[in-house]
Amino acid sequence: MSMEVEYLIEQLQKKAERGELLYIGESLNRVDDIEKILGKPIYTADILPKQTLYAKLVHSTIPHGYIRSINAANALNNSKVKAVLTYKDVPGINESSAVIPDRPLFADRKVRSTGDIVAAVLANDFRAATEASQDIKIEYDPLKPIFDPLEAMKEGAPLIHDAGNVAKHMKVYKGDVQKGFEASDIIVEGTYSTQFQDATPMEPELAYAVPKENGNILIVGSMQSPHITQSGVAKALNLPLSRVEVIQAVTGGAFGPKSDETPTDLGAIAAIGALKTGRPVFVNMTREDSMIMHTKRHPSITKLKTGATADGKLIASQAEMIMETGAYASLGVLVIVRAMFHANGAYEIPNVKNDGYLVYTNNTFAGSFRGFGAPQAFFASESQMDELAKKLNMDPLDLRLINMLRPGKRTSTNQLMDAACGLPECVEQVVAASNYRKKVKEYAEQKGNTRRGVGIAILHHGNALGPEGNDYVYVHLNVDRDGIVYLGTGLTEYGTGAISGLAQIASSIMGCKLDRFRIDRPNSLKHKESGPTVASRTTAIGGNGARDAAEKLRDRLNTVAAKLLDCMTSEVVIVDDIAYSSSAPQKRVGWNEIVDEAYRSGVSLNTIGYYMAPRCIWDEHTGLGSPYSQFTFGAAVADVEVDIDTGVYSVRSYYVAFDVGRAVNPRNVKGQLYGGTVQGLGYATMEELVHKDGRVLNPNLKDYYIPTSLDIPEEFVPIIVEKGGAIGPFGAKVVAEPPIVLPGPAVRNAILNATGWSVDSLPITAEKVWREGHK
Amino acid sequence: MTEVLMPNTLAEALSMISKDGHDVLILGSGSDVIPRIREREIEPKKVLDLSGLGSELNYIRTEGKVIRIGALVTVRQIIDNELFKGRLDAFLQAGRMFGGPQIRNMATVGGNLGAASSSEDLIPIFIALDARVKMASIDGDRLVPVSKLVVAKRQIDRRPNEIIREIYFEMPDESSWTAFFKAGRRNSLIIDLINMAMYLKLNIDGTKIEDIRIALNRVRGKTPERAYKTEEYLRGKRIENETIARAQEVLDSEVQLSSDFRASAEYRKSLDKVILARLINNCRDRIVEGRRTGN
Amino acid sequence: MKDILLEFKVNGQPKKVYVDPNDRLLDVLRDYLDIKSPKEGCGTGDCGLCTVTLDGKPVLSCLTFAFQARGKEVTTVEGLGNGKELSPMQQALRDAGAAQCGFCTPAMEIMVTDLLKRVDNPTDSQIKEQISGTLCRCTGYYPIVEAVKKIKEEER
Repeated sequence: MSMEVEYLIEQLQKKAERGELLYIGESLNRVDDIEKILGKPIYTADILPKQTLYAKLVHSTIPHGYIRSINAANALNNSKVKAVLTYKDVPGINESSAVIPDRPLFADRKVRSTGDIVAAVLANDFRAATEASQDIKIEYDPLKPIFDPLEAMKEGAPLIHDAGNVAKHMKVYKGDVQKGFEASDIIVEGTYSTQFQDATPMEPELAYAVPKENGNILIVGSMQSPHITQSGVAKALNLPLSRVEVIQAVTGGAFGPKSDETPTDLGAIAAIGALKTGRPVFVNMTREDSMIMHTKRHPSITKLKTGATADGKLIASQAEMIMETGAYASLGVLVIVRAMFHANGAYEIPNVKNDGYLVYTNNTFAGSFRGFGAPQAFFASESQMDELAKKLNMDPLDLRLINMLRPGKRTSTNQLMDAACGLPECVEQVVAASNYRKKVKEYAEQKGNTRRGVGIAILHHGNALGPEGNDYVYVHLNVDRDGIVYLGTGLTEYGTGAISGLAQIASSIMGCKLDRFRIDRPNSLKHKESGPTVASRTTAIGGNGARDAAEKLRDRLNTVAAKLLDCMTSEVVIVDDIAYSSSAPQKRVGWNEIVDEAYRSGVSLNTIGYYMAPRCIWDEHTGLGSPYSQFTFGAAVADVEVDIDTGVYSVRSYYVAFDVGRAVNPRNVKGQLYGGTVQGLGYATMEELVHKDGRVLNPNLKDYYIPTSLDIPEEFVPIIVEKGGAIGPFGAKVVAEPPIVLPGPAVRNAILNATGWSVDSLPITAEKVWREGHK
Repeated sequence: MTEVLMPNTLAEALSMISKDGHDVLILGSGSDVIPRIREREIEPKKVLDLSGLGSELNYIRTEGKVIRIGALVTVRQIIDNELFKGRLDAFLQAGRMFGGPQIRNMATVGGNLGAASSSEDLIPIFIALDARVKMASIDGDRLVPVSKLVVAKRQIDRRPNEIIREIYFEMPDESSWTAFFKAGRRNSLIIDLINMAMYLKLNIDGTKIEDIRIALNRVRGKTPERAYKTEEYLRGKRIENETIARAQEVLDSEVQLSSDFRASAEYRKSLDKVILARLINNCRDRIVEGRRTGN
Repeated sequence: MKDILLEFKVNGQPKKVYVDPNDRLLDVLRDYLDIKSPKEGCGTGDCGLCTVTLDGKPVLSCLTFAFQARGKEVTTVEGLGNGKELSPMQQALRDAGAAQCGFCTPAMEIMVTDLLKRVDNPTDSQIKEQISGTLCRCTGYYPIVEAVKKIKEEER
């Protein structure tokens, strides 16, 4: 037996003692990144079929009004223009909404924002389509628009939708908040506001459709959830699901908007165009189109009030959050739910009253985006904790240590924290790594124009869908005649490496090398619907599906190997492509021998794994109960340097610890800590999509600032804490979303520490810091 | 855009625009005009591409005290050139924050002067250096002081038959320094909130400001201009806190800034004032340091 | 009106194509020559994803008209290696997890190659400076910086 295999077996046995498997916890390379690095043509716009028509979408030019007429005659006179599509061309139901049926695919009667699609121009090339789109004459009867959510909530405000301007009111009521405040020695109140943030995946949303000879329609696009696009397209085209084949092309970043309504719009419009013209149709989105059309992070205004005893014990917390959803609700109705479940921070507080309102305006619409309501909620709650600490004359860390969630404590919804609550470890490690205590002391002595400061923020994050839907998944595994393993699922890869993680889990269980794995392109007709690829659920939920499929295959492989090794099935060990019997390890057979034998003896190496998370139980009226099966925990310390005269500041160092349960692939976990944090630092410090009179002023990367490599902290320390969770494979918890949450409050609190100035609105621009100091 | 003129010599280029030049857009690298053409902000019928003129218009030359920069010199070439490490520090400061590295490889000095948008960082520096722009035409060269070059936003004093050939200025002496600052909302690919360039000369014993030129991208409206009143106040003064505070007040009364979604006028003004003080001190420190070390 | 004859070299190969005056270098590479590694992330010169080298210098192919490349040599990621196996630079990116969604990766590779051509052992700040005109939304840039430092370590 070679040294290498000996070593692997030893490793395997060690891990088995911990109830684990060989490749779990290893920073292995992804199975699907080689072609990306080689620059291969794999993204949607790289693989357009010949003779494709290009579609340019025409948006409403007014934020609110009735459409009187649409005249496409001039555009159609252009010989390069092949068709102009409007609501009249929709064969099925002209509706493209995720939850509340409030948004037509093509605006018909009414427009409610400048992101509404009124028409699509199809031409031989994109330049011609773009030029012709300016020749579409649309007449409107304008209605009074409303851009302020507080105005929209008032009696008598113009109605954006007939059912009223509040799309959802979400409550969490625990104990008696009034009595709690009465019993408090100290009460702090504040209003915290946040902005529209654009996700800015580097590849905008794109899709093309091809009419197939068998009458099916094929859609290829950049998206998170092909099955959602499939059902949306089927509805718009009035086709059975079985006729709509949707393939996710390699996707250049997503972060939420590509799971929301826009990919369905593009798929449906491409499909309608393809069926009408008989040619492939590509709906191309410029950066500007994307930033106007896709869902952004909801702006919010949160009034928060917290009561505590003189020694810092939290007694009551009351939150009222107004979340602006723009013209349509999209998945915002679920975003407000997550926001309210997390609105009081990661603390045990006996009396809670949270009211969240999702409110329509005539701005472009908000919806899914990494964090899903948590960034707004924690900016308010973590900012207020530092105000409370200031009033109590207590270090913000000590206030957190008194009140934060630990095993045995209960959340705002009364959910009990079990041993898997790793928040204390996260705080302990991030405080140690950052030298927090020492810095607080040192920085207190500063004078002069340049001041340093440290700020801390902590969180809990309910995992996966929880109250947002049925959390189930299918994973297909198929070993071909050459011993190559194909992994297919309706879940998608868009950068996190999570699908590679599924392969890592499956290869660990099956005992074959990871480089045998190939990832099937997700296909709505080939792979079973597995829910949306959102809520960071791929590893925690999808991993269990991969595990189930791999265990099924392993049982079959073991049976075949037992025959070849002439031993009992229970004695078979397969590791790193080699099978042996635990009672006679000198005899071995290779992976391909097992596969050959399986094919010869009629043992199928093609299977489907399934997993469904336990149902989460909570009360719709009070919000109380256990809305999530497990939680991720995190803590961060930001160290900033502020120029007092100008308000210009930089985040010099950032330390973050996350309890991810079990890191299946630590390198990929860190990839999320890095990327999520920097996107969160963008949110905290510079990013803001600005509307004026309903129009986006900066739908471009010149004036919408996302961090460059020169904007990231010089020092960044990511720490992984592993307190295995209840449901994820090997204890894994979600990780992709929560890192984006902490920079906002951590930076805000660090600036407070440095200067004594409280900036309560995001983004924290230098001008806002300066204003606080020069009031 | 239907026609492209691709001359191989300056003479050829000048003859191509000697008549219907008003129809022709002169293309340096294109990094400024291409997006504007695509967004139909400008719709030129013809374009004259200077990329064939590298051997004639790409040079940085010193003639005595005079430094001449050909129109096709890129921002990158300036940063890399030893000539600009020292008293011409303003160029280095501006160059490092000019777009991103790719843009610095593309953008030319002539293009920067020609684009004349409020955010063209080199113009304030050239103004602070009191540079002259040499326009070439078949009728010969014409000189334009750079302070008179920009007549309105995106409009310069260039006749339809002219091409920017070079810009030149005197190398500041050892009693002088130049500095530049730009404030934005991030550290690369910056849209500036304000920018400021300064030339400062100390008197013989290093106690007073002998001469100073201050250029900002916005003084009145959207064109780069000098802050004459502030300069006038500072000339001959000692660099002391009180003087600077008073100069800040003069600057405050002199500049008229507007608000937009990037920043308010009030904040921009406060930045201008802080930067004024910092650049003065920076120039003074560097001159003093240079005298001490003999550089 | 594809009436301008563009003769230039792409990844070492001489090419002749007729182009429209309005065609950008990016359009010619992607649509005429089927070279898909340069990406259009914005079309306005603000993201850096269309970066290629033109006569050895990284430029934005979305801010370059096709005719400006006449007589010049263009290099894209397709021309960096043999197209099948990863080069040491590419392997270092892979080992650091520097390609997440992968959409910025080709542009980053052009910038990294350019840096390593000029600087032997780049510092963190030189690396950050070099990639500061190329936006990445997935990695936070740290794995890319880490990868570049590893490349030089391996070669030493």
